[in-house]
Amino acid sequence: MRLKAILSGLFCMLALLVLAGCGNSTSNSGSANDKVVEIEYWHVASDSFGGQTVRELVADFNKTHPNIKVTEKFNPDMYKGLTQNLQAALASGQTPDVVQMGWNFLNYAHENFETENIDKIFADAGDPNFIKDTFEPNIARLAQTDNGDQVGVPYSLSLPVLYYNPDIFKAAGLDPNKPPKTWEEVAEYAKQIKEKTGNPAFFMQEYADTWTNQALVESNGGTMLTHKDGKWQAGFDTPEAAHAYQVIADMVKNGTGLHATNEEGFQSFTSGKLAMVATTIGKRANFEKSSNFKVMTTTFPAFGNKPVKVPAGGNFLMILSKDKAKQKAAVEFVKYLESAENLTKWDTGTGYLPPRKNMAQEGPYKKLIDENENIKKAMEMLPNVTPWVSFPGQNGLQAEQVLIDARDVILNGSKTASEALHEAALKINDLLK
Amino acid sequence: MNRLSKSGYLLFLPAAFFFSIFYYWPLLVNVVLSFFSWNMVSSKIKFVGISNYTDIVQTAEFYSVIVNTVLFVLFLLIFNFVLPYIYSYILAYVLKYGKNLYKVFFFMPSLFSLSVASILFLWIYNPLAGPIDAILQIFGLDSPRWLKEPILVIFSISMIIAWKVFGYNFILMLAAMMSVSKEMIEAARLEGASDWVILRKIIIPQTSSSAIYVFVITVVFGLQYVMIPVNILTQGGPNQGSANLVYVIYQYAFVFYQVGKSAAYAVLTMLLFVIFAWWRNKVLDKKVYYEN
Repeated sequence: MRLKAILSGLFCMLALLVLAGCGNSTSNSGSANDKVVEIEYWHVASDSFGGQTVRELVADFNKTHPNIKVTEKFNPDMYKGLTQNLQAALASGQTPDVVQMGWNFLNYAHENFETENIDKIFADAGDPNFIKDTFEPNIARLAQTDNGDQVGVPYSLSLPVLYYNPDIFKAAGLDPNKPPKTWEEVAEYAKQIKEKTGNPAFFMQEYADTWTNQALVESNGGTMLTHKDGKWQAGFDTPEAAHAYQVIADMVKNGTGLHATNEEGFQSFTSGKLAMVATTIGKRANFEKSSNFKVMTTTFPAFGNKPVKVPAGGNFLMILSKDKAKQKAAVEFVKYLESAENLTKWDTGTGYLPPRKNMAQEGPYKKLIDENENIKKAMEMLPNVTPWVSFPGQNGLQAEQVLIDARDVILNGSKTASEALHEAALKINDLLK
Repeated sequence: MNRLSKSGYLLFLPAAFFFSIFYYWPLLVNVVLSFFSWNMVSSKIKFVGISNYTDIVQTAEFYSVIVNTVLFVLFLLIFNFVLPYIYSYILAYVLKYGKNLYKVFFFMPSLFSLSVASILFLWIYNPLAGPIDAILQIFGLDSPRWLKEPILVIFSISMIIAWKVFGYNFILMLAAMMSVSKEMIEAARLEGASDWVILRKIIIPQTSSSAIYVFVITVVFGLQYVMIPVNILTQGGPNQGSANLVYVIYQYAFVFYQVGKSAAYAVLTMLLFVIFAWWRNKVLDKKVYYEN
């Protein structure tokens, strides 16, 4: 008798497991017969970062497009988090249709996620010239690989700017309406502020990426990556790149620059202790809200009279669907998101800049710019945007880590920029083989 | 004498079933993965033999990661094993008043999550706007870069974990201290034993079984706790200065997307833990007094 009871108990447990497993698969196949095309949209917009905007945009799209149903899915931890989730989803065959892909994952996504050619998808949907007509060439190029393959559609742009605290400027006898234009001036201003207030005056973001470092190197005429003898190699083992890094390291060394974690640097700025921060325009709304002084913005500083080049941050949209009907629906949705009006909504919610042509000259976004001087300053830099370099190949992301580590070594002062960059270049060339 | 009957085996089966599915099967898959080069998505999975292991052992990174891990263990042992031991002794035998107050104060932080603790300490460590800096400024000193200097970063992160874990370990040790029989101590006092002798000959041996437990969780859990502040505050930096065995497994798998290397690191880490467990069983357990 007892044995029987145990056996039936075991059987029940097994049955439960099996049923739980079936539950998912039956609910998924239910709506396949309807005429409505269902697509899934993955984004990184948390509630404090445009989440509400995404929900409104999707709800509005579903209302105006009765034959398409978009489901939005939030992915925490920004683009790294989304890519991680996407890895898992693709491995289990549950592919979303439209995803926001971070610019620095461009090569990785192109090499690893099998997608149909985006130009062909738009041509099939009856709009072959959409990308060419909507974006300036330097913006469209951001979502291309080096051999010119279009991987996706530019959607969100951010670029590094220099934020400053006018109160500290005044206290140090500097004119807030004449922010530093070059790195030489940044160093002078920082020195003067340090002498007057005793505090370090400059911080450059130290995220686990090399975004602002690329801006430094390229603005000084250097490169991150070169193509040599048919192979990719580190391009930053040059005097230009070393000088660009050394400028920041020297400020840290003489006490006018701050070397800390990102959040510490930002806290110091918003609490009114630190005068200048070089970081993404994406931080604007956050800084304006959490500081009790008037946050001011200026363009990313230059080296002498060399042209400033800033890498694009943010994301582009990738279409991953294999199914023709879904691809068509995805194109419809992407075009909807890229309209001047909806871009303005999205950028208001997130602080990103719009990639579309003529946004600063006409339409709803112009109103936004007229009201906020800081956005205007950032928009002025759009012609200077270059692609965010991502290291190619299976070891690409590890190669980036080597360069992140080199930044710590340089700012720490334990090695000079040219030594540390030379060592990093050797390591990276080894990884890129 | 402990042989199982038929129904005994049957009762054992469900646990064994789940255990093998959720513990041993993944372990096996992990070992298999460590012989491949793969990024989890690509259809290209390449068998590379033991080269993941030989690559790892040949890099300087591996040894610096081990040194960092050992440093983490040392700091954690001081903060979460030695200090709770001393404090619980003081509270049980030296302090006369305010015992409950201390118990509450020490235990409270362990109710917070480590992410909360990490954010809290981010403020405390802030080299320009934090409270430590404010105190140092009074003496005209500059704040050290808590999270940006090698070795110091390990100390700083261990402090965060200590803040959270100290109270729990302290309560465990205190319970053990309180349960040492009063009669034995009284008897020793009558024989004229000093406080020092009582501590060495009675209290330390009598609390050894709890102490060994706290020692083991300090090492094993502590290294896993390290993951959270490292991921939130330093991402392994500066210059991999806070990278440890647990973090590199995550880093290789989910930052670099190199599953094979990550799996190889996981296997090596597991081997080190096996050695630790063996050492604990063979060497440490012999010196422990268990009541039963």
